[in-house]
Amino acid sequence: MTEYSVDEQIITCMARELRGEYLVSSVTAFGSLAAHLAKSTHAPDLAVLSTPESGMDAVPLPTLSLGQFLTENQRAIPLTMEDIFDAIFTDRFRIWINPAQIDQHGNVNISVIGAWDRPKVALVGSRGIPEDTSHLSQGLYYLTQHTPRTVVEHVDFISGAGYNPERRKTLDGHGAPTCLVTNLGVFGWDPESGRMFARSLHRGVTPDTVREATGFAIELGSRIPTTEPPTAEETAIIHAADPLEVRKLELLSGKEAAEKFAAIYERERQALHAAWPRRRQ
Amino acid sequence: MNKVISTDQVIAEIPNGATVAIGGSSLSRKPMALVRALARSDRRDLRLIVNVGGPEVDLLIGTGKVAEVIFAFVGFEVMGLAPHFRRARQDGALKFQEWTEYTVMAGLDAAIKRVPFLPTHSTLGTDVLRHSAAFTTIQDPFHGETLVAVPALRPDVALLHVNLADPQGNGVVLGDGHMDALCAKAARKTFLSAEQILLPERLQTYGRDVHIFRTMVTGVVEAPWGAHFTGCAPEYRADLQHVQEYLGAARDGAGWHEYLERYVYVNHRDYVRALGGERTLGERLRV
Repeated sequence: MTEYSVDEQIITCMARELRGEYLVSSVTAFGSLAAHLAKSTHAPDLAVLSTPESGMDAVPLPTLSLGQFLTENQRAIPLTMEDIFDAIFTDRFRIWINPAQIDQHGNVNISVIGAWDRPKVALVGSRGIPEDTSHLSQGLYYLTQHTPRTVVEHVDFISGAGYNPERRKTLDGHGAPTCLVTNLGVFGWDPESGRMFARSLHRGVTPDTVREATGFAIELGSRIPTTEPPTAEETAIIHAADPLEVRKLELLSGKEAAEKFAAIYERERQALHAAWPRRRQ
Repeated sequence: MNKVISTDQVIAEIPNGATVAIGGSSLSRKPMALVRALARSDRRDLRLIVNVGGPEVDLLIGTGKVAEVIFAFVGFEVMGLAPHFRRARQDGALKFQEWTEYTVMAGLDAAIKRVPFLPTHSTLGTDVLRHSAAFTTIQDPFHGETLVAVPALRPDVALLHVNLADPQGNGVVLGDGHMDALCAKAARKTFLSAEQILLPERLQTYGRDVHIFRTMVTGVVEAPWGAHFTGCAPEYRADLQHVQEYLGAARDGAGWHEYLERYVYVNHRDYVRALGGERTLGERLRV
């Protein structure tokens, strides 16, 4: 049996949701690797974006375009912000979003913990999520830590619209959530009830583990399939694309994360000097 | 017309209470030399408009220049949250309006088109519409659909950093344009800092890379490394070591004072010197 870690399981599940000829954002390491993995296997027509210097079909460097500002400009087809939002409005865009909270109806929050006016913790702001949740036909979310604090009954602030009453009145199905991948399993939403359900649980995860880790009474059927583990090919592609393990930054915190970061930063510098095109004179 | 001016002359054009749009995005091509000049001035009560904000917002809040921020995002990506922004949000000290990436663009676009608002589906079903931004819903007069009306955002001043400019105010952007051209068109006055100022006949050869047109520009400042500690593709990347130094200082009172003395309360030339000079910066950050 292939050896794999939880980040590889999550990224593999994310990759399997991507297909067709869409612009795929790579705003996080997990999202970037999922797009790269999908493009390398079953979805060769995906147009992978680099960020924040928005380029389409970025040439993967030894360290790829991971960690959105570790690299800034690659040989890629330049897109403008208008191009990217037009791709969102015309449903030709896909993005894996890593929210701070997601709830039973698929509303997501990256703005605040507590009340918006006087937050307990001010996070970052809704960014482009409200555009995604009113236009895209796939609403894709992932969490590296499935806990009662991240998978909650009600989010503190709706940055992105799930199946809430306002959606039913004004948006119909446009931009509704379709998939959540966590370290425990793969989840979906029933468009009728707007409630989250488990599509599969990762190997070794029991329904009780999911119940305890979820902040609401999640319905778990009696026979939930086990998630297909990553294949040897899939893990090999992830390892080759991310030899520095930039993806692990999303799992670490504090001193460990800082040390990992410093090591990656130095390696990227060396790799970039060797690989980047010469500056235009 | 020769529009080359000094940083001080730019700051003199920004009154107290001005609405200032700042270009760039995330840790990419922020006009940091101009922002630092604003941070060491005696301006106050500024109203900032940013899209994906970070160091510029945090520094101006941390030096007491800001009354209100309109933003889609303020943070330092995987490096962490913005310390002064976060404190100000949690203390309720300033006014904030949380918009979104597209709606900030739409607000500027409405100002350019001289219409009071532009319609969108974006933010329907979210608390941005219900709570954090001054949006309202309208009915489509043709088919009755519900849409969000995003009000016009009219900056008094736009501050942008470009790779190259000419003395007349044309600006070349070689990396991502972000929303800089919208800021320039929407603002009453636009000021550029540029890595280098070239003669107009040389700048013209850049063709479609000329994103900012002189008809919208009031003044140009030459500031090599003027985006530092954000990046300026393809010249240099963001200085993540310095981001760590900034965040460490911004989280603690004494450290913050030292940081300001060393990097903010000095002119741009001395700022570059404090970082070890252009050559050291180049070795670390140029590619």
